[in-house]
Amino acid sequence: MNYTTHRLSAAGEALRKTLGRPLAFALVVASCATLLAVLAFAAIGLWRLMPLQTPPWAQPEALVYFGGAEGEIDLAAAGLALRQVPLVASADFIGRDAALAELTQRHELAPLALRELRPNPLPDAFLVRFAPGATPEAVEAAVVALGKVKNVGAVQYQAAPFRKLAALTQLGRRLAPLSATFLVAVAAMGVLLASVFWCRIDLEELRILHLLGADAASLRRPYVYAGALCLGLAALLVWGVLNAMNASLEPYVTAVAQQYSLALVARPVPAWAGAAFVLAAAFIGAALASIFVRLAQWRQRNVENRG
Amino acid sequence: METSPTDASAKAQPLVVLERVEKRYGAFRPALVGLDLGIARGEFVVIEGPGGAGKSVLLRLLAGLENPSGGTIQLAGENLARLRPRALAQVRRSMGILPPADALLGARSAVENVALAAWVAGTQEQEGLRRARAALELVGLDVGRYGAAPCMRLASGQRHCVALARALVNRPALLLLDDPGVPLEPAQASRLLQVIDQFAQAGVTVIASRRADAAPAAAAQAWPARARIVRLHDGAIVP
Repeated sequence: MNYTTHRLSAAGEALRKTLGRPLAFALVVASCATLLAVLAFAAIGLWRLMPLQTPPWAQPEALVYFGGAEGEIDLAAAGLALRQVPLVASADFIGRDAALAELTQRHELAPLALRELRPNPLPDAFLVRFAPGATPEAVEAAVVALGKVKNVGAVQYQAAPFRKLAALTQLGRRLAPLSATFLVAVAAMGVLLASVFWCRIDLEELRILHLLGADAASLRRPYVYAGALCLGLAALLVWGVLNAMNASLEPYVTAVAQQYSLALVARPVPAWAGAAFVLAAAFIGAALASIFVRLAQWRQRNVENRG
Repeated sequence: METSPTDASAKAQPLVVLERVEKRYGAFRPALVGLDLGIARGEFVVIEGPGGAGKSVLLRLLAGLENPSGGTIQLAGENLARLRPRALAQVRRSMGILPPADALLGARSAVENVALAAWVAGTQEQEGLRRARAALELVGLDVGRYGAAPCMRLASGQRHCVALARALVNRPALLLLDDPGVPLEPAQASRLLQVIDQFAQAGVTVIASRRADAAPAAAAQAWPARARIVRLHDGAIVP
């Protein structure tokens, strides 16, 4: 027997082990596929959200009104002064005419009422957005600082919603790594358990083959191939299911992303990533099986040497 | 036929040499103590002793399944304890081993169990099966009737025959047989011993163990008269 026939023979033995227990094989592949699907689904979701950005509606903002009549204030200088306040990310000018137009449109005022509003009673304003990630306390301090800028009449800032959102975000930040760790741990344990069940080492067979002069590598080979086949097939199944899910859910996910201004990139997962996923899973299956057989061989040697 | 000087020196050199071999398992009484033994090529050696004398331990050491706690075992000039696992496996493929329990794969057929040894030694599948059938015929098992039967369904004597056929299937250079006459009827055991002796006469070195306290049954078995008896007692060779 040469290099190739040794491996072909081991592959045949692996298939025999697999086809000999079709129900167990299907069960193990399905369990591993479910666990891997959860992980893959989370990973793909995260990948499509990358780079993570805070949506505009989740950024704290304040309206800064300037006092004084039209033309009295140097708006360019005012905007510059606002931007120099710590934590201010942007300050966009909203002119009193634009504000009136929006007010008119919003309340559908009659032309008569519009005439009543002459001259325009609204102040010039700036919409100030704060840097994402700032704490509510820091934002509130910045709001106080904005109020002290020259010619600022009033600052309108709703502290409560941002405090609530910040509390939720903080909780999410704490939970995310914990949940990810838990998810990975559950998946790893599940795959490990399924592999232990699948790679049930026949110690008697190992002992007999060892006695007949089979070397350690050829003893491991059928188990290694069976392990690779099991997790590789599970990964392939996951890939198929994810692609099917992706195709059916895509319009709905896009709609939700648009509504919540989420920067969700609708990019298909490339084929090489799928191939790499299947290969990585097969490699892990082979490695796990190899470890189990090595452990069994080590246990066997210990038992034999103890007599 | 002329014998070349190389053949002569190879024959003169013992195949197996044991020097002060000891085997201990933890703090228990040593299983083997200070064994010195040389076995020539083509020799038929019977290791005889009561239960617990260390016969099976000695055979396991000779098979390289365990290392001695002290001393050296040389096989064809190679110290077994110093061989790498891969080389040791290769050495074991040149042996025919009959373990104390028949050590067969119960779910596999008799032919497959025997062919397994041939396959492990690198024989092609069909050739392995052919050799397995021939080896089973040699030890007197009806291949047509029992060859395809799973070993778990065979009687203990038949299983023993399968295990012996497996030891013979690769035409080994060294046969290590643990109690080859047990659990067979004396007549059947004698017939198998004759087969083993044929191998020895063909130049195969045979090292077999035999229980001394099973004297009546053993006496009824026809062990070859030319066999050298080595007596073991409490792990030591006794005169």
